[in-house]
Amino acid sequence: MNGFKRGTTTLFLLLGGLVVFLGARPAAAVPAFSRKYQTSCQTCHSIFPKLNPFGEAFRLNGYHLPGETEEQVKQKAVSLGADAYARMWPEMVYPSSLPGNAPFALNVKMANIYASSHDDTGKQIVHNDFQFPQEANLFGAGTLGDHFSFFSEVTYAENPDGSGSVEIEHARLDVISAFGPEHLVNFRIGKFAPNLYDGFQEMWLMTDNGVDTLFAYNPIGFNGGTGLADSGGGVSLPARTRAIEMYGVAAHRLFYTVGISAPIGAGGPNGQFNNNSSKDFYARVDYKFGGMGLDGDSTGVTLPPENWRETSFRVGLFGYFGNGTDVNYAITDPAGNPFQMQQTSFRRTGVYGSLYVGDLNLIGVAVHGSDDLSLRDNDTGEELSSATRTYDTFFLQADYVIVPTFQVSARYENLRPADPSVDTQKAFNLNLSVLARANIKLMLEYHRDLHDAQNYQLAAVLRAAF
Amino acid sequence: MKGILVLALSAAVALPLAAGDIHGKVTCKGVRDSGDAVVYVGAIAGKTFPAPAQHAKIDQKNLVFWPHVLPVLVGTTVDFLNNDAVLHNVFSPDGCAEKFNLGTWPKGEIRSYTFKKECVAATLLCKVHPEMEAFVVSVPTPYFTVTKPDGSFKIEGVPDGSYTVKVWHPKLKPTQKAVTVAGSSAADFEIAK
Repeated sequence: MNGFKRGTTTLFLLLGGLVVFLGARPAAAVPAFSRKYQTSCQTCHSIFPKLNPFGEAFRLNGYHLPGETEEQVKQKAVSLGADAYARMWPEMVYPSSLPGNAPFALNVKMANIYASSHDDTGKQIVHNDFQFPQEANLFGAGTLGDHFSFFSEVTYAENPDGSGSVEIEHARLDVISAFGPEHLVNFRIGKFAPNLYDGFQEMWLMTDNGVDTLFAYNPIGFNGGTGLADSGGGVSLPARTRAIEMYGVAAHRLFYTVGISAPIGAGGPNGQFNNNSSKDFYARVDYKFGGMGLDGDSTGVTLPPENWRETSFRVGLFGYFGNGTDVNYAITDPAGNPFQMQQTSFRRTGVYGSLYVGDLNLIGVAVHGSDDLSLRDNDTGEELSSATRTYDTFFLQADYVIVPTFQVSARYENLRPADPSVDTQKAFNLNLSVLARANIKLMLEYHRDLHDAQNYQLAAVLRAAF
Repeated sequence: MKGILVLALSAAVALPLAAGDIHGKVTCKGVRDSGDAVVYVGAIAGKTFPAPAQHAKIDQKNLVFWPHVLPVLVGTTVDFLNNDAVLHNVFSPDGCAEKFNLGTWPKGEIRSYTFKKECVAATLLCKVHPEMEAFVVSVPTPYFTVTKPDGSFKIEGVPDGSYTVKVWHPKLKPTQKAVTVAGSSAADFEIAK
């Protein structure tokens, strides 16, 4: 088998493996807010978990409605100190509040996954899995007074071997409008999907599948990355991180975020959470033309009553830069000899665009990646050679609201891995979503490797949020 | 002639001025309801009012001050009754109320404080229970009231004349306007954050 064929087969197998085993996807519809404001999911979601422009403003405002007034909050908060204590700080503890009810919500997800892939011999393997439930998510979300908010998600997922796994997918605390003009300076600390991916990380997409070509690419390989990896690979774009982030909205339409992060993965020795001491850096800046302001401002804008519609264009530039020195990955050369490889530094730069025209929302992201890879002796760890490898990936997704009950999405993904012997990966994802009720969603989703008609997944998914 | 004039002036002084009322509605924007706004007549030039002998009262029951907002005439003594089975404290961080602190006392006991100066408003707090909060609004005239939840109010016994009517709310910006009272007179207000 020549290098090209081996690489291609590896790619397909990895994709096939992903399709079968990466069924669990984070949910992000938070009925705790429905209870607090006594309002429907569709106030903030065009179809959960995808946010509409108002929901995006609510999120960026730290879970406060744009221009929120006391009477809009139907579930009165529990005072942890009279407002007057603010004047007496630090002699007295600064006042705060608790959500009126326990701020919890549940999502459950049932999935029937029909998946086709290949085994090592090229033989087609077909599975039809009832994953009932595939996962259950316990959310905690709310505000603590005017300047703090929190979001957490604990996911219980059923594993193929019958066991279960529990993970804290998100746990973060935000400081809202810490100083300066409202919405301009906010801080976030915890484990979360960075605002770097606002609008295209899976927790903000209407599809069941995330964009694996962005987030699951493995840049490690003897001649550079060859494709996707479920876990254990190097860093492409870490979908969630442990980070400290600053973000905000200026002049209603300019969004920015900067952060220092540590990707989530295998920890270091001696019980360390991070596998090396280096920290990554990321930044993004966006501008939104037309439509509702990113903070919910609608001054001078005529918006239709259908809250998923607007005419707007949001464009953003982002970058993620990191250092993976001292983190070793086991690889083999084409002859099968073992080596270690380090991703000593890496750079990701990208552009994001989101166009709303009536019922249509076009989302696109393109990323260029560059990795400095250090090949090391498997026994001594001594560096044998180093090289810079690059890859490119992009996706384009069209979401369309036929009527609020029926919505469709089509996505094309393209990944040119760094290893030149491996073919460009192309995938197509088609989704039909039906809101049986505002908080019950049915999805039929088809995901296909465009190089191989037998490498696909058809998923029927039921999600309920309550 | 001079005697008639003196007689007429004496009679005019002896007769009470016609008393009317100020009524209307305060619309409070951005809060749950329009209650708890204090509407009062501001200081009247050359006119002072004796402090009432009768004490006003604020109860502490079920870990809440009641009433939440209490307007009083300057010089009024307010009695604070602890009606709970737990210890309570009352203090104010506001200079216009001398930052008083009445200490801590048990159920059934009363401690008092006299609001000697105009104070809009004195925040009342309890160090034992940080969430407890109330307000005493010490104003220079006896013409005051607190709005109902629908914002309606009526200040009775206001002599005919021209006044500055002021509105204060615990969470909203205060406002004021000139009001001429001639019998029953209407005045509406709108306040917001």
